[in-house]
Amino acid sequence: MTERFSPGDRVRTSNRDPAHHTRLPRYARGAVGEVVQVAGHHPLADDRARGRQSPPQAVYHVRFAATDLFGEGDHAVTVELWDGYLEPVPDVEEEQGS
Amino acid sequence: MSRINDVGGVEGFPGVVEEADEPAFHADWEAHVFALNGALLKRRVYTLDEFRDAVERMPPEAYLAASYYERWFAAITTLLVEKGVASAADLVPADD
Repeated sequence: MTERFSPGDRVRTSNRDPAHHTRLPRYARGAVGEVVQVAGHHPLADDRARGRQSPPQAVYHVRFAATDLFGEGDHAVTVELWDGYLEPVPDVEEEQGS
Repeated sequence: MSRINDVGGVEGFPGVVEEADEPAFHADWEAHVFALNGALLKRRVYTLDEFRDAVERMPPEAYLAASYYERWFAAITTLLVEKGVASAADLVPADD
């Protein structure tokens, strides 16, 4: 199976606020982090929690700077996140529109 | 909307205190709940994700007041009724 992201890629998490079970914690919504490693392929928990069939998708360990999540702290927080929670982040140059 | 379980980074919750030589279970009933959940998962009565969801669907005030295995027990009883394995009447506590 191929993965959309590789270690070192910068990703932004979804900002959606689902009413159902999800493995994307509130504190990590809409945040930018870096893929650390691929952690296998698994059915999306959001779907399985609702009794739905779900094909396996890539799960990643994504590392965030604590200050990006909580506004303070000099440590990192690594969260296990499904591919569907993530969007690519353009290079910094593109982001700044230069 | 986020549910009561999703409190990472929220102020006001005490830190996690590790008990020295903590036993796996603090009472026999906890071991029974643990074993029951394993049996129901293995028999595919529900999935682990449905179980987690059922814990998170507890009323917030009940969730906050419950211990770890009390939450498990609440989720198991919720799912047994929803899956048609037992009726609510079946789950009335037995007389001592």
